[in-house]
Amino acid sequence: MKPSGMRWLAAGLLAVAATAGGAEAPRALAIGKAAPMASVKMAGVDGKNLSIAEVKGAKGTLVIFTCNSCPWAQAWESRIAELGNTYTKQGIGVIAINSNDPSVKAEDDMPAMQERAKTLGLEFPYVVDATSDVARAFGATRTPEAFLFDAKGKLVYHGAVDDNAHKPDQVSARWLNDALAATAGGKVVATKETKSLGCTIKYRARQSSS
Amino acid sequence: MVEIEPITIDELHHVVRAGGARVVLLNVWATWCVPCREEFPDLMRLRREYRERGLRLVLVSADVDSQLPAARRFLSEQGVDFLTYLKQGADMPFIDSLDVRWSGALPATVLYDGIGRQLWFHEGKTTYDSLKNRIDQALAPPSEPAP
Repeated sequence: MKPSGMRWLAAGLLAVAATAGGAEAPRALAIGKAAPMASVKMAGVDGKNLSIAEVKGAKGTLVIFTCNSCPWAQAWESRIAELGNTYTKQGIGVIAINSNDPSVKAEDDMPAMQERAKTLGLEFPYVVDATSDVARAFGATRTPEAFLFDAKGKLVYHGAVDDNAHKPDQVSARWLNDALAATAGGKVVATKETKSLGCTIKYRARQSSS
Repeated sequence: MVEIEPITIDELHHVVRAGGARVVLLNVWATWCVPCREEFPDLMRLRREYRERGLRLVLVSADVDSQLPAARRFLSEQGVDFLTYLKQGADMPFIDSLDVRWSGALPATVLYDGIGRQLWFHEGKTTYDSLKNRIDQALAPPSEPAP
């Protein structure tokens, strides 16, 4: 084999090795799966402890990982509040979860969450994932990141709020709204998975089992 | 002043392929992203150490327009004296076009060979040792065939 051919082969093998090694990011919950760790109680901004199972709605459940500190979460927070407030009245249980370690970003602590919830007028729970294990179990990597389950508890939508975080007047695809509307109406969600840029979830260190 | 040029995903693929580097290290970052800021000095160190061996560092900021002054300030503090880029266009095509495994969380780092073929992808903060190892592999001469 000519040297140039060998170079191609070496590059190809390296590429295969990289692919086999994976992206080293957690794999998100697959469409059709049930919510993991649904019975774990999490402290809410109103002082009540709530689990995902306890907020389950008759027509579906929206779990959204978000936080106070991320500019992407801030850009979408009014839209998240509006969607949550709207669909809690239409049979969708809604829970916003902050899995960030506040030692990384102080503005992600409970007092700041309480202030944020008040400012935004949230009519649904905003809770702390105190170990970050709920986010890990979902394979959530960024804020904000939405997981919508149907009435049977199966994941029907995972991803972004819409296609333009920073310019609401230029949104052309309202993915989460469309998924919520379909789910509340008992219909099939057309676009099941979307992506957006976002801040990494600042996972707390894993708790020792000893 | 540090140069930050708007770039679409198609233009970025062209930039990665152009320039005659042996290896291209692409990093997507933002000023508000803590892990991005933490790993940045390692990227600059690797650029200094490997530039003469054919490494090109391509930096793409995911900051929005209003954050440009902060981005310029950060790049200047880090000693960046070369052209960098500012992501344009919708997120999802940009993410999937770089790597379908990318969830969209920042930072993201991709290693390419000299003609733009992807060798490695990483989501989240990297380390100097991990990147150095990947770059060494990419720059290693091809092994001789067995006799």
